[in-house]
Amino acid sequence: MEISGISILSLVTIIVACLLVIALMVVNALVMVYVERKGSGFIQRRPGPYEVGPWGTIQAACDAMKLLAKELFVPANVDFFLYFLAPVLAFLPVLALFIPIPFGPFLTTLKVPDGVVLILAFAGFGLLANLLAGYASNNKYGILGAGRAVSQGVAYEIPMILALLAVVFQTGSMNLSEIVEAQGSAPWRWNFLCQPIAFFIYLVTLVAETNRAPFDLPEGESELTAGFHTEYSGMGFALFFLAEYANMLLVSFVCATFFLGGYKGPILDGFWWTFIKAYAVMWFIVWIRWTFPRVRFDQLLNINWKWLLPLSILNLWITAVVIKIV
Amino acid sequence: MRGRRDSKMISAIWDNLKGLYSLLVGMWVTGRYFFQPTKTVHYPRQTVDPEDLAAYRGPLELTRGKDDESKTRCISCQMCAKGCPGNCITIVKGKEGKSPSTWLYDYTLCCLCGACVEVCPTAAIDFSHRLYLVSVTREELVLDLLADLQKRVAAGPLKPKALPEAAADKPAAAPRAQDAGGPEPAAGKGEG
Repeated sequence: MEISGISILSLVTIIVACLLVIALMVVNALVMVYVERKGSGFIQRRPGPYEVGPWGTIQAACDAMKLLAKELFVPANVDFFLYFLAPVLAFLPVLALFIPIPFGPFLTTLKVPDGVVLILAFAGFGLLANLLAGYASNNKYGILGAGRAVSQGVAYEIPMILALLAVVFQTGSMNLSEIVEAQGSAPWRWNFLCQPIAFFIYLVTLVAETNRAPFDLPEGESELTAGFHTEYSGMGFALFFLAEYANMLLVSFVCATFFLGGYKGPILDGFWWTFIKAYAVMWFIVWIRWTFPRVRFDQLLNINWKWLLPLSILNLWITAVVIKIV
Repeated sequence: MRGRRDSKMISAIWDNLKGLYSLLVGMWVTGRYFFQPTKTVHYPRQTVDPEDLAAYRGPLELTRGKDDESKTRCISCQMCAKGCPGNCITIVKGKEGKSPSTWLYDYTLCCLCGACVEVCPTAAIDFSHRLYLVSVTREELVLDLLADLQKRVAAGPLKPKALPEAAADKPAAAPRAQDAGGPEPAAGKGEG
């Protein structure tokens, strides 16, 4: 049975997968808040949360409860519709983004032929949400944060696409499952070894695309209080927060898929390898957040336009030439 | 001209490579810190090691006399009271000699600037290492430093390493680490 070209079965699959992804997002946010706070604590030689529950494990759940119970405070003169649309718009596209990710050989929602395009297209929605949030909330910090978010996001999207494109050139497919299949089980047959420059560029741009330190200028606390989500409280803020961690998770999964062999591992291929690799990348993001200071905005754009963009074009060109020769 | 521009480009690339290396060094440092034991203490359950308090500048206290350890060195000259920006020191001169009969120190007004310690001609006041000074009323924080000195004297003579009791340090309590690191040379102890 089909409805306008989509079979009922795949429709059910998508709905179930979306529910699972929502569960994954929430659990991931709770776990990552704990990991982040403990990690920052240990890196700064202090214990991190340790009062609530054994070793502070319930701390993140308590924070989530606090956010749920908080009053939704709407400042005066906001653009009401856009103000409430923005957090939803930040959160919802992430569901679509997880559709083409191959978690395991069978654990894939849809083997979308142009999965890369789908991911890159829907990732732009997060940017739009940040822009609307800052624009609608009638706040100078909000509008400054939104401006920064857009110029940073648009700038870093280009080298990111070019870096992923190098892998696509090499594999000859935009299907994420086929990209994983093209890589071998052994670690030395993963893409990060034959595409080291693309891997490096992707690692830099994924931090910038998720607005995380050292590229967290859209919400730079020292200058902009909280940037684009300054005026959001309660669940509005929680949705932005959830979307940030979901985006982190997404770029980590994409990194694992493109460069780290996806669900393939030295022993026993399966979805556990995807999760191990993705969470290793997540830990890398947390690690550099607590290591490097925030860059200045001109430095941020200089890194992108003067270094990453030429480097990624050069890398793409070399890849194309090598493919043509070999 | 051409060559100079080339060398400028090469040095820019080289600088950025060095910058990348420095990022790796930073990650190596924080990565090592992650596995090292924590430096902070779980305050209500643990307290700071007294040896780590040697440089801590807490509320004022009177130092012990040079000749007679039980007496203060204060000569009631009022230099500290006049120099204090918060007017937290009240000294009343005693009937005999120069020594004070009252020495009140309002800790609620004190900003710990150290003007009094610096200006004192006889080095009669110094910062204590009292870390856990806590009170629920303002009155309790007006410290009678003469009584405090007498209590410390009663608790015993200066020891080279007097161990302060860590928690529950009420105003004017028993011996403190200050007695070890005070201006007194350890040899100059009297009968106490």
